[in-house]
Amino acid sequence: MSEKEEKVTVPQIDKPARAKTNSIQQIRYVCSIGAMHSASAIPRVIPITHCGPGCADKQFMNLAFYNGFQGGGYGGGAVVPSTNQSENEVVFGGEDRLRELIGSSLKILDADLFVVVTGCISDLLGDDVGAVVREFQKQDVAVVFAETGGFRGNNFTGHELVTRGIIDQYVGDYDGPRTPGTVNVWSLLPYHNTFWRGDLTEIKRVLEGAGLEVNILFGPESRGVSEWKNIPKAQFNLVLSPWLGLKTAQHLEKKYGQPFLHLPVIPIGARETSAFLRAVVAFAGIDPVKAEEFIISEEGTYYNYLENFSDFYSEYWWGLPAKFVVVGDSAYNLALTKFLVNQLGIIPGKQIITENPPDEYREAIRAQYRNIAEDVSTDVEFEEDSYRIHQLIRQADFGQKPPIIFGTTWERDLAKEMKSAMIEVGFPTSYEVVLSRSYIGYRGALTLLEKIYTTAVGASA
Amino acid sequence: MKINFDTPVVQSREQRLGTIIAWDGKASELSSQSEFARRSCASGCGEKGRRLCEMKGPFTQGSVCSEQMVECQAGHVRDAVLIQHSPIGCGAGQVIYNSIYRNGLAMRNLPVENLRLISTNLQEEDMVFGGVDKLEQSIRDAWERHQPKAIFIATSCATGIIGDDVDGSARKMEGELGIPVIPLHCEGFMSKHWSTGFDATQHGILRQIVRKNPKKQEDLVNVINLWGTDVFTPMFNELGLRVNYVVDLATMEDLAQLSEAAATVGFCHTLSSYMAAGLEQEFGVPEIKAPQPYGFAGTDAWLRELARVTHREEQAETYIAREHTRVKPRLEELRKLLKGKKGFVSTGSAYAHGLIAVLRELGIEVEGSLVFHHDPIYDSQDPRQDTLSHLVDNYGDVPAFSVSNRQQYQFYGLLQRVKPDFIIIRHNGLAPLASRLGIPAAPLGDEHHALGYQGMINLGETILEILAHKKFHEDLASHIKLPYKKWWLEQKDPFLLVR
Repeated sequence: MSEKEEKVTVPQIDKPARAKTNSIQQIRYVCSIGAMHSASAIPRVIPITHCGPGCADKQFMNLAFYNGFQGGGYGGGAVVPSTNQSENEVVFGGEDRLRELIGSSLKILDADLFVVVTGCISDLLGDDVGAVVREFQKQDVAVVFAETGGFRGNNFTGHELVTRGIIDQYVGDYDGPRTPGTVNVWSLLPYHNTFWRGDLTEIKRVLEGAGLEVNILFGPESRGVSEWKNIPKAQFNLVLSPWLGLKTAQHLEKKYGQPFLHLPVIPIGARETSAFLRAVVAFAGIDPVKAEEFIISEEGTYYNYLENFSDFYSEYWWGLPAKFVVVGDSAYNLALTKFLVNQLGIIPGKQIITENPPDEYREAIRAQYRNIAEDVSTDVEFEEDSYRIHQLIRQADFGQKPPIIFGTTWERDLAKEMKSAMIEVGFPTSYEVVLSRSYIGYRGALTLLEKIYTTAVGASA
Repeated sequence: MKINFDTPVVQSREQRLGTIIAWDGKASELSSQSEFARRSCASGCGEKGRRLCEMKGPFTQGSVCSEQMVECQAGHVRDAVLIQHSPIGCGAGQVIYNSIYRNGLAMRNLPVENLRLISTNLQEEDMVFGGVDKLEQSIRDAWERHQPKAIFIATSCATGIIGDDVDGSARKMEGELGIPVIPLHCEGFMSKHWSTGFDATQHGILRQIVRKNPKKQEDLVNVINLWGTDVFTPMFNELGLRVNYVVDLATMEDLAQLSEAAATVGFCHTLSSYMAAGLEQEFGVPEIKAPQPYGFAGTDAWLRELARVTHREEQAETYIAREHTRVKPRLEELRKLLKGKKGFVSTGSAYAHGLIAVLRELGIEVEGSLVFHHDPIYDSQDPRQDTLSHLVDNYGDVPAFSVSNRQQYQFYGLLQRVKPDFIIIRHNGLAPLASRLGIPAAPLGDEHHALGYQGMINLGETILEILAHKKFHEDLASHIKLPYKKWWLEQKDPFLLVR
């Protein structure tokens, strides 16, 4: 045992400027195998994890439990089969163990499709997972795989690997006719976005209201694998997010000749949602009458509530937040910024995007912020390390009173320090219980207004 | 067998203690087959005397890894930083352990704050060229950001496989920064049971933090625990002793003075085994060789042994007598209220032995229980710590006693065997299944809840509360379908596939 001094002496090290390093403190995304949740987000689909003993538990407890306490549902959480790889497989390889696990999973678990995802151990040792899975596929077993070793990327890129695995290995080739007015939706990242279930439900509701047939693909409103089998029959794909899903849509375009519509802003509030529906209906080329009737009806309800809300918003005595900060992944970040600026007239303070979007998409995302409203332009920063994120927020000038922070559990201490109101809207959200709540569309926007102003008013006395 | 502190790598539980993760039978059988009884497996499945028959099968559900236990111990030292030397996925644990840290701090009336864990965020190219430069960068970042009193490093499956020289980097950075930089070897694949992660953390603390030239504090008692409420201080006040809680929520000073204490105790031998034995071996701090403080029998024996070692027998007897008198009336009432109820404990190993005792004190029937692993012996190798035999001898046998490493598919059959009214849990993964079968669970987030005399009352009250939840779970059970096939659900033997 080495001897240690009791007193700490401050060493003389050069204090470099706080430049960005590899370090990530207080994580805001997980690794590719986190996309096991993209499998269990499809009704009656169960992931099989070929990885170390802790990987499945870690991804579940952090993405799906201490993030809104969403739960594992039918095929996720604690029931996920795992090879729990040990030293033996590290030395001798893990293919036999995987074969055994897939075989026994088929006997024990009742699923429509199994999705094998891999961890660092398998990907580093070069297990031929594809060969093992193909043995089962040849016997018409519904099982696919995606190599999602942790060092390959994050759960956003992992999501597209899992999606592509299902499309290529399970949905398969198709050259039949396509159904006009039917759309496949690629939007929020399941489970990572705390409110994805309610939000996808609202997206489906408004698109159907506007006259479209919708394959929502993930979440409680999905019809499961039968809906996935229908992907090639849809008229087109809708990518409703700043970048996630674009690779999938491009792949589908190549594979099935299916066109896609990319709308980067997830709509919150009547103005955005109505514009969104008109854009989709125009792209689909369907009769707009049904959509316009739906829009009139939804806006009637929406503005009736807003009319009543305006009593509060215009004459509440005790002050309301004037500036806002959003820290989170690009989908919600952009959607919230758009709503807060355009619907409520709150002034953008600081926007930080945290999911490390691939470089190729960043300029387009920046452009969205530059044109956030006709008369408002703002900027956005990309940062994943919470230490640096919090420094950026501390260094910003918010004027006479603290901004309201839309962030995560990591911002709880910062909000206290800044005396800011704060709402957890993204991963990780460890201090909210979320079931069907949605913050988007017509209905979700009203819930969001309630949440924002209950938070502000609730802390006032 | 002496614990080896010469190497930075901890020996796994299975190597040191012969730990198993799958077994089925009576508690009395497991107890007599375990090392304390010095009998080897009847079927001759191992040369080592301490090896028990262990079942192994083709189907396994996700377990937990050693690195997670390092996060929840080293990551919760209040003036240190933990570096996770790994791809970003291991960092997922920052979320749960932050929530636990914050709530634990609040429970102890300490200032609530986020934990300080930093991921080195290794990428594909690091798998080829190695990650030590990034490790050293993250250590420098940790220092610059927080000026911690120590920096722990958790290794990962990836860094273990690529063979990063973490020990070399730690030594180099320790020289550069002048604070302990402590590598904790906890690759998930290196042990079949996560409790090796506790040992990895404690190994590092014993090697690099604990004071080597202790000035004895005759009234200080180490309590190896997690985040539980402070139930030890009032108890120790009665004996004129002071508490030193480690490892979670401790400061570096608390860890450094471990070697100065008059004794070491814990709430669960699974957790405290390594640290307590190491402190005794290296610094002569006596580990209290007694059953754990659960139920009258355990608590009495534990207090008496603590009093004997710290020379406070008289105060202890007064306290014991007073507490017996104090808790008995409410205990009688609880026994009436809980009469005829059946409980099932499904927690970590030694902890379960204690909880079953408390249930039996409450008059609750315990026909079955499961533990996530079984250690045939603890590091002290002292039969006075044989918690399973203590349970069987003082509170009777448990007919359906299983070792099942959080395998939910087996849990279904285990519950069918005994049809309990409620279960007691700590780790996640089992209560959701019980819920879908209409059975409520009491999750003991506060690990001290059932401890000591008051613990019997606490647990009784909690069980009454959760029995009321039955309405929710029964309603749910009648509306959902389990993910298991009919064939599996019809099997009578939960261990069919592993025998």
